[in-house]
This record gives sequence, C-alpha cells and structure tokens, in this order.
Amino acid sequence: MGTAMNRRRFLGATAVSIGSLTVAGCMGSSGEDPFDDYGPQAAAVESSAVSWDDLGDLEGELTIYSARSQDQIQPLFDALEERYDDFEIRDDYDDEDDQLVSLLEEGENSPADLYYTQSSGELARVKAEGLARELPEDVIGAVDDNYRDSDGQWTGASGRVRAIQYNTDEFDAEELPDDIFEYAEDERFQDIISTRPNSGTFRSFIIAMIEAEGEEATRDWVSSMVDDQNATLYNSGSQQAEAVANGEQQVALGNQYYAGRIVGNDPDAPIDVTFTNNDPGCLFNVSGVAILDGENKKPNLAAEFTRHVIAAEGQEFFVDTNGEYPVIDGVDYVGELPTLEEINPLEFDLNQLSDLEPANDLLREEGMM
Amino acid sequence: MASNRLQKLFDAAGQNSLSWLLVLSGLIALLVASPLLWIGQRAAQVEPARGFELMVSARTAEILVTSLGLMASVTILSMLIGVPLAIVTTRTDLPYRRFWTVVAALPLVIPSYIGAFAFVSAFGEHGELESVLGMAMPNIQGFWGTVLIITLYTYPYVFLTTRAALLSMDASLVDAARTLNADRFEAFRRVTFPQIRPAIAAGSLLVALYAISDFGTPAFMQTEVFTSAIYWEYGAINVEYAALLSLQLLAVTGLVLLLEARVGRDEDASSGDSRGSQIRLGTWKWPTMGGIASLGIVTIVVPVAIFGVWLLRGTGGATTAYAFELEYALNSMVLAVLAALVACAFALPVGYLSARSDSLLARLFERVTYVGFAVPGIVIGLALVFFGSSYLSFIYRESIVLLVFAYVVRFLPQAVGNIRTSVLQVDDQLQEAAKTLNASRGETFRRVTLPLIAPGVVAGGVLVFLTTMKELPATLMLQPIGMETLVTLIWGAHGTAHYRYAALPALILVLISGLSMIILLRQEDSDLQ
Repeated sequence: MGTAMNRRRFLGATAVSIGSLTVAGCMGSSGEDPFDDYGPQAAAVESSAVSWDDLGDLEGELTIYSARSQDQIQPLFDALEERYDDFEIRDDYDDEDDQLVSLLEEGENSPADLYYTQSSGELARVKAEGLARELPEDVIGAVDDNYRDSDGQWTGASGRVRAIQYNTDEFDAEELPDDIFEYAEDERFQDIISTRPNSGTFRSFIIAMIEAEGEEATRDWVSSMVDDQNATLYNSGSQQAEAVANGEQQVALGNQYYAGRIVGNDPDAPIDVTFTNNDPGCLFNVSGVAILDGENKKPNLAAEFTRHVIAAEGQEFFVDTNGEYPVIDGVDYVGELPTLEEINPLEFDLNQLSDLEPANDLLREEGMM
Repeated sequence: MASNRLQKLFDAAGQNSLSWLLVLSGLIALLVASPLLWIGQRAAQVEPARGFELMVSARTAEILVTSLGLMASVTILSMLIGVPLAIVTTRTDLPYRRFWTVVAALPLVIPSYIGAFAFVSAFGEHGELESVLGMAMPNIQGFWGTVLIITLYTYPYVFLTTRAALLSMDASLVDAARTLNADRFEAFRRVTFPQIRPAIAAGSLLVALYAISDFGTPAFMQTEVFTSAIYWEYGAINVEYAALLSLQLLAVTGLVLLLEARVGRDEDASSGDSRGSQIRLGTWKWPTMGGIASLGIVTIVVPVAIFGVWLLRGTGGATTAYAFELEYALNSMVLAVLAALVACAFALPVGYLSARSDSLLARLFERVTYVGFAVPGIVIGLALVFFGSSYLSFIYRESIVLLVFAYVVRFLPQAVGNIRTSVLQVDDQLQEAAKTLNASRGETFRRVTLPLIAPGVVAGGVLVFLTTMKELPATLMLQPIGMETLVTLIWGAHGTAHYRYAALPALILVLISGLSMIILLRQEDSDLQ
C-alpha cells in the first residue's frame, strides 16, 4: 500500500513537472507582435549613436537564437529586461554550427524571431537561404557600410579582429612576424603553432585569403601549416588558448578574446595577443543580427530590439564586456587593444564570406579539418 | 469469444502466438528508426559523382580505419578490464565486495568528455600532477589517448552485463565441473564462459557502438574519426555530406550488429543458486583491491577532485551568466526519468519477444533499436529538428516531448539488451507451471514473468537514466527554449573557460547518477536473496 502511494505521488509530481514545462513553453510562444510598425517606435537610430532613452520601450516576448555564448551576450539581455518591465527574452544557445544547421533545417518554421551570431559568414548564409528580412532603413543607415550587408539584410553588432595569441615566456611581440604567410614557413613555429579549423571565423579567414591572395597561395599556406609546421588542430578556442598559457603550445591563431578570458582570470598568465598587418591574418569580422522572415514572427519587436543593440548603450556594452570594436561611428573603442587604424585590417566585403564551398573543398583536400 | 480464440491461438501455436507482440515490436522499431529516413533523404541530395568521390576518398578511408581501430581497441580493452572485474566481485572472497562493485561501475556516470578533460589536466603534460611531482608526464592525446579515455569510462557496460550474468547463473555447475577433475581454467572455459558469453557480447556491443559514435573525446584528443568528419561537414554547413557520412557509419554499425548477433547467440542460460564455492584470493586480494582502487582514483576521484578545486579556488572568470539554479537539476532528472520510463515501455515488448521467439523478424526489430545508439546525437537531433519544425510545430521547442523521444531513440538498446537477457534467464518451466494452473498468458506474464525480469527492467531503465543525464548535443538542439539542464550549464560554462560555474552542476550530475548506479547494483543483489 505504502509503495503504491509513493509511486502515485511520484508519478503525480512528474506529471506536474511535465505540465509546468509544457505550460511555460506554451505561454512563451503565444503573444502577438506588440508593435504595428517596422519603423522606429520613437527616435530613429543614427550613426552618431542615440541613447536607449530616446528609443521606444520594448515589450512582449522576443525569441532569440544566439550562437554567441551566454557570458558575451546575456548581460545585455538582462539589462534590457531589467529596464523594461513588460519585456522578456526567450534565449536559446548552441554552438554556432549546430545552431545554423538547425535554423536552416527549420526554415520559415523557426520559432526564433531574431538570429544573433558570431560571424558574418553565418549571417550571409541565412540571407542566401532567403530567411532574413530586410532591416529597417534607419538601422541600415546608422551602421558603417563595411560592417553590414550591402543589401541591408543583416547588420554587425560588434567587431573583432583575428589575432596571434602567443606565450610571453617564449616570444616577445617584436619577434613575431606581421605577415600571416610567415607563420606557415618560419621553422621557429614548427610543432608549437595551432589553429582551430572548426570555427566560423577560421573559415572566413580562409575565404578572405582565397579572395585576397588567390587559391594557390592559400592552398600552400594550409598544406605548409599541416605538413611542415605540424600545426595542432583544436576543436575549442578555450582549449587552444589554454595550451598557449600553460606552455604546451606557444603560438595560436584565433580570436583575441580567448586570451582575454585567461588574463581576466589570472593576470599573470603568460599569454598576450599581437596582430598581422593588412592581410587575412587580421581579418575584421562582426558578430551580428538578422531579423528572421516567416509566419508567426515579431519583426517589429525584433527591429526595435536591434535598434537597442546599435544604440550607444548597446555598443558600449560590447566594448566594455567583450573587448570588441563598435560598429557605429558615434561610439569609440576604449580598451587595451590597438585601434582598428593601428591594426589596419584588410578591406573586405563580408558578404563574400557566405560562399563556403571553395574554402571547404580546399580544407578537406589538404586535410585541415 | 474473440479473446477465447486469441487464447487458443496463443496456447496452440506456441511461437506464432506472439504475433501481436511482433506487430507491436515492429511499430516500435519503425518509430525509433524513423529519423534514419531524414538521413537517407538528405544523403540522396548529394550529387552522385561528388558523393562517390567523397565516400572513396583517401581521407574517408583513413578515418574509417581509425574509427574501426578505435572501436576494436576500446572494445577489447573493455572486455579485458570488465570481465575480470566482474569475476572478482562476484566469485571470489574479495573483502568489501559491495564497495568494490560500486567503484568498478561508477566511471559510467562521468560524461567521457568531462572525464577526458579532467584526466588530461591531472595526468597529462603540464597537468596538476606534473606540477606537484615535478616530473614530466606523458602527453596523453591522439589515438591511444582516445582509446584510453573512452575505455576507462565505458568498460562498466561490460562489467555490469557480465556481473549480472554471473550472479544469475547456476554456480553449482562450476563445482560439478571441478569434482569431475576439471581445473579452474578448464571449468571457466567449458562451463562459465559459455554461460556468460552472451552477456559479455551484449556489454561489448554497447561499448563498441559508444566508441564509434562518441565525438567529444576524440575531438578533445585531436583524433580524426568518423564523427569528427561528420561534425566538420555540419560546421561547413554541408548537411548532405554529413548525412552521407552518417550512412557509412550506419553501414559499419550494421556489420557490428550482425557480428554480435552471431557471437552473442544465446543458448538458453540456466539460472540457479549463485552461491557456489568461492575462489579464494589469498594474498592476491591486495593487488586486486589495489587495482580496483587505482581505477577508481583515476576515473572518479580525480575528476571530482578537479571539480572541487575549480569550485573552491574559483577557477575561471566571473560572470552572472552561468549561475546555478536548483531547477536545472530538476529539469535534468525529470527528462532522464521520463526517458527511462518510455524506453522501458518500448523495450519490454521488443526485448521480451526477441528472447522468446526464434523468428528472424523479432531479432531484426531488436537489432534495429540499436541503430540510434551508434549515430552521433547531433544527427538524431537534427533529424528531429526537421520533423518537429515541419510537422509538429505546436510542440516543437515548446514541450519536452521531442527531446524525450530523441533520448529514447539514442538510448533504447540499453534497456532492450537488459530486458532481453533477463527474459532469457527465466525458467520456461515456471511459465508452464502457471499455465497448468489455468493462468492466462497475460496473468502469467504479470504474476510470474514480470516479477522475475523486474531487475532487468530496472537495470535497463537506470542505464537510460544515466546516459540521458549526460547527453548534450540533442539536448541543446531540442530542449524547450529557455530551459537549462545540468549538462547545458556545464557546456556553457566549461566551453567559455568559466570553470567554477561548471563545477557545481558537474558534481551534482555525478552525485545523482552515482546514486542511481547504487540503486541498480542493490537491485541486482537483492534479486539473489
């Protein structure tokens, strides 16, 4: 008797939990777009950076697919939710690849209103599949041409540059080449250099190299890295940066913020970053957003949210929290990294990054996977 | 009337009477194999010439060889560890056998990707141990590093299945053999081994399929295997190529399943009193205990200690994004319990039928349920993303139904295998006896068979529970939006180097899974009393 009771109670508890999970979900999906207009709800955004105070109040629920990690974006979501009592973000996180293939598989049935991701290649792919909606005019006008889609279907939210991370016990910045090709040729880097071929920005880097230097030179670079330098191919950016900090590796090609995370935790960690000069090795890339097209979506709310991202407070968040570069003229970069003028990145149309096929074929053939 | 006729059919036709179960098993097999349709459909989109080129390329051949080597090495090593451990913890006078049994089984509760990380940061080059001892440690990576780690965290499959078989086998047979002047080795080879062979094969099958479908560990060790190629193609947003490679992986799986079906073919195992005479270890008990203890330290104590260090030292950056909430643990448990219940409900007809019937179809349906275990979670996940968003949009990413289904597809064979084995061990005469007492077939099942196979059902359920708690890729793809579980929190915090926030959920995961493992072991023990 006792066991029967217990079992029933347990099943009851389970049913309640399932119920609450399901109900919580359903309540989230209901609700109409709170706004009638795709245009500004209050002030329009401008390149001189408007304040959140001038924008329309956010309300309702917005569903966001984010391939940016929680630590890099959730504080911004929290700040907006705190500011607007009636506003809630349903955020979903996954690795950038998994999330993009999910989104493409879902197509217009995706439950997401807005796609927020790490690199412009993925945004360009969403555009190419016809899943992105043209952004409102004021948003397109506010962002620097280099940092958004030329057809206005996606925009950068923050920018960053590919970097050379190195172990400061082994190298001084002056000893390191400022030409990405030397990293594949210089014997000093044999067995101690690494890269991370599964990341979106790495693929963008290869595409940029093919565009800028030609397929032949790119193929040589890749095969030298694999065969001559015996480069270690990591699967995780954190693992790659840690290997440099603990001396297992000495030089790592990747995004600068991984080194930043390690130094943030342990200021004495022997890791720093430097940049190549005006070549694909210091490719400028953006994280950014696309408003998704399809049935049952909330484009007007997504548009007003996007205005908040490229307004002054949103841009300052990226500079302060992630050490990234702003995409609006009206906000200045303040931080320890060199400014973009100093780094002098390659001029490059970020939309070209959507065509992965040539880069993928090359990498597959040369065994850098 | 109808039921009467049905009854007659059951009683008269013997095996044929199981036809309704056959239909049910067929439906279940069809249901759990349905995600394969999507794989086939996507693979068919690859341009044939291109697809052929991809399939026969030198690189594909290379990863095929590596994957097969990995699978074979891990399986053999797991048998070499799992079988002796099962024998010493059931058939010898080893002191504190219960404790050592728990130690030997526990590595299964640690997700191998976390185990790999902890293991390397402790024992590898530049690891904790190196800085403590001041002597250089080997660099654990590459193929053999992968083999080592996967073996250490999956051999318990072999240990558990072999142990269960040893416990339920009639041990007096060994004594009989000994009185006929067979030496110990001879007795093992001719009496014990044939009895436990199907169990060893069943455990090894799970190990083999795990080894070939694991992505996290080889990726961490920079070993290129089939799953890395599949993941790479996903990353390159070539879902079609990934699907094609998955088909190749499935072909390999099919061969393994055929092979195991031959090796693991079971003579009806007899069950009886397991308390035969024990092997006296004498002074060998010290190295034996030392061996199990080192295994436990390496696989369990070290990761737990490393999580403890992260937590206490506050390793990694500070953030508000990965704060732990109790609800995450509850979510993980509810999901795992539901997956276990549904898996057991599905596994009962399939496992029962395949043990009771000689029909080829019954065996086929049972084999089909294994396929999901060999396919990387991301593949099953994406197939269900497609089905869910296209046809079930009202529950897609809103309720946990699809996610639980994904777990069942992935982990069902663990329940099927256990239930099948326990049905095989039920003495047919008991059921005959029930029949002579005029019990209907349903009643016989309910009052005779079910209580006897209950430990097998629970064991299968616990294994599904354990693996569901650890599952990551399908969880990230299919969980209701905004939901967090223990593994998604570990993934987020660990992947961004915020280690201190990964520690607490990891410790809770190990604790909950560890407790469920103890339930499993107690259950099997009490079955003997």
